[in-house]
Amino acid sequence: MSELSADGPRGVLRPGWAAEVGDYAIAGGWTVRGEVLVVGDTAGGVYAFDGKSGATIWAQPEVHQGGVLAVAMHPRRHAFATAGQDGRVLVWSAAEGQVSQAIEVGSDWVENVAWSPDGQCLAASCSRQVCTYDADGAQVWRSPDHPSTVSAIAWSGAEELATACYGRVAFFDTSTGEPRQKFEWQGSLVSMVLSPDGDIVACGSQDNTVHFWRRSTEEDSMMSGYPAKPSALAFDDTGTLLATGGGQAVTVWSFRGKGPEGTRPGVLDVHVEPVTTLAFAPGATRLASGARDGGVVVWSLRKNGHGGAQGAAVVEGAVAGVYWRPDGRALAALDAWGGVTAWRIGR
Amino acid sequence: MDTPSKVPVTILTGFLGSGKTTLLNRILVEEHGKRIAVVENEYGEVGIDQALVINADEEIFEMSNGCICCTVRGDLIRVLNNLNKRRDKFDYVLVETTGLADPGPVAQTFFMDDEIGSAYALDGIVTLVDAAHIDQQLGRSDESTEQIAFADVLVLNKTDLVNGEALDGLETRLRDMNRMARVVRSERADVSVDTVLNLGAFDLDQALERRPTFLEPEYPFEWTGVYSLDVGRYELSLAEGPDPEMSLVVVSDQGTDDVALRESAEWCVRRYAEPAEPIHPGQETSVGTHVNLQLDSPGRKSFFLEVDTPMRVGLYAQHLAEEFDLQLKNADGAVVPTEAERTWVAQHEHDDEVGSIAIEIDGDVDPDRLNMWLSELLRERGVDIFRMKGFISLAGESRRFVFQGVHMLFDGQPDREWGETPRRNQLVFIGRNLDEQSMRQDFEACLN
Repeated sequence: MSELSADGPRGVLRPGWAAEVGDYAIAGGWTVRGEVLVVGDTAGGVYAFDGKSGATIWAQPEVHQGGVLAVAMHPRRHAFATAGQDGRVLVWSAAEGQVSQAIEVGSDWVENVAWSPDGQCLAASCSRQVCTYDADGAQVWRSPDHPSTVSAIAWSGAEELATACYGRVAFFDTSTGEPRQKFEWQGSLVSMVLSPDGDIVACGSQDNTVHFWRRSTEEDSMMSGYPAKPSALAFDDTGTLLATGGGQAVTVWSFRGKGPEGTRPGVLDVHVEPVTTLAFAPGATRLASGARDGGVVVWSLRKNGHGGAQGAAVVEGAVAGVYWRPDGRALAALDAWGGVTAWRIGR
Repeated sequence: MDTPSKVPVTILTGFLGSGKTTLLNRILVEEHGKRIAVVENEYGEVGIDQALVINADEEIFEMSNGCICCTVRGDLIRVLNNLNKRRDKFDYVLVETTGLADPGPVAQTFFMDDEIGSAYALDGIVTLVDAAHIDQQLGRSDESTEQIAFADVLVLNKTDLVNGEALDGLETRLRDMNRMARVVRSERADVSVDTVLNLGAFDLDQALERRPTFLEPEYPFEWTGVYSLDVGRYELSLAEGPDPEMSLVVVSDQGTDDVALRESAEWCVRRYAEPAEPIHPGQETSVGTHVNLQLDSPGRKSFFLEVDTPMRVGLYAQHLAEEFDLQLKNADGAVVPTEAERTWVAQHEHDDEVGSIAIEIDGDVDPDRLNMWLSELLRERGVDIFRMKGFISLAGESRRFVFQGVHMLFDGQPDREWGETPRRNQLVFIGRNLDEQSMRQDFEACLN
């Protein structure tokens, strides 16, 4: 990272604050109004930091035995959910660090957790099954076994859940449990993202490709040529740009016009090790990327997916996640050495 | 950021009831104090507190390209990548597969997934074999064959349930299938932990140190003794031994160095291919012909050899001299000492489809020709090649080139300097229906 190793953040990334958690900071997020940054670590601890100062508001080390695996911020309330290797989902109040619900999902790892768009329902995956829970933490639905461990989940509507696993993406009506649509692909789908209008579902595959389907037409497309598996994917708020990892470059496909089929993607090449995480700023074509080399880069993109770096910083360990504050005026990065770093974003 | 050393991983395979869980528990007890993570596909009774035990169903992920070498184990990718996300790394990872597991995807996972490959090193595949049942299992299932073919260590377990002769036969059968593996016997999986962990199993040096002859070709004879003889009549005396007969070729003008012995060995292979003349006790034997000594009568037996000019002779015998207390005496009855002795790897029938091919040859290899040969070999036969490893002496390279592979996946790099050690090529392939002769010829064609 010779270009980025200068002291301190550069460009639009302005100094903010830094904090630490007990182990690898695996997942996190900002509360709905951006007051608090929540972080889970692989020792099973959950931490809350003041969004402005970085001061620790509360810390609960070792609540998930074996480690935290996923964090989901509530879309409306000052609350969030964590999932862990202990087979549980915990629902927290962000202010006090109180667990309001402890849900036993199963005996295996709970690797994914997601709130429905209205925040009334919580979905979690455990081994080959997904479950949904109501606002009181009572189970609403438990899916039959998937063909393999569920690798990703996402709400595709108020009462519709998408799941990805080896060999397929499926959409379930969570009120009836009926499968509504299935797309099959013989490959291990390791990541999934939906366009905001829900029409496009994109998955990274173990065989170093990105596969996507348009739900309305059931057409599918495959983007190949990645040097590594694309485990990081992100759509912008308009559903025009799909940013993909899968190597040290970020590849951005534009769905404008007849694209992305037959178009040249934007290739953003600054990281020197594989990209691990991607996030679009709310309401903007501004993208943040993090990589195994510890680099965090903010990119300004055009509608055709091409663009350039606007700012950059380096954190101590491999970047596990980047999270935009909901107002887009701050960015946080979590890293492998337990570092939690937040920057203000300049105009 | 510093690059931490890779965490070693040992895979325990073997059919249900072969003793995997017993061995696993033994390792955990003996390695007390180390941070060990256990990934269990077969949920046994693992009752050790210090170890982190993760139960995971075997998930075999085939890729859309249909290539069997791209098939990986999704559960291992998921679990091992997560275990790697800890500040305190584990010292060791053990994976206990189900009885029906195909070891190919397990091994391939360490080549195919870059995150796994950068954090973990496959230390070895240890296959438990139920001595009482493996003969039937080998006939019935491809999985048990492949578990043996892929192994770095074969633990021949439950030996108390089988008699010694059957065990020897079984061990020979296993060795035929996989000459690369170390075979250890046990009753209740009570093998020393050193024999299954920290093998650096992809290191061929170790295998060569253990059994220096394992790369050698096989011969129809087991022993050679070289004697310096004057003119006269000599008596070849044999005690009662394990076999009722023994083939023999006597070579004239035999040298004592290894080159001379090997040259004569090749010549003797052709004599051994000719029909043998039976010789009864008290009869004369002759130089340069394939004879068969008849040994079924009781007591010591004598055969005679007439020498009309002084010379060194080499006796190429089907069995070891010590098995029959073989002695050569002069006309005065004094025992003539050997000037040189050598044993050979004995040949036997190979009845399994799966076998090993070893190539050992001096000289430097042309890198381009080697590359072309290997690419073609792996493209055409990769499906049938389970494992390979070896050292190559590349022309113009001062270091030894070491390689290993699983199916079509191939990984190689230079390691230590050749220095004083003689430059030679040593390759082992384990696979199904491999054509030894053509592979050997094709490799020889890569030599400068």
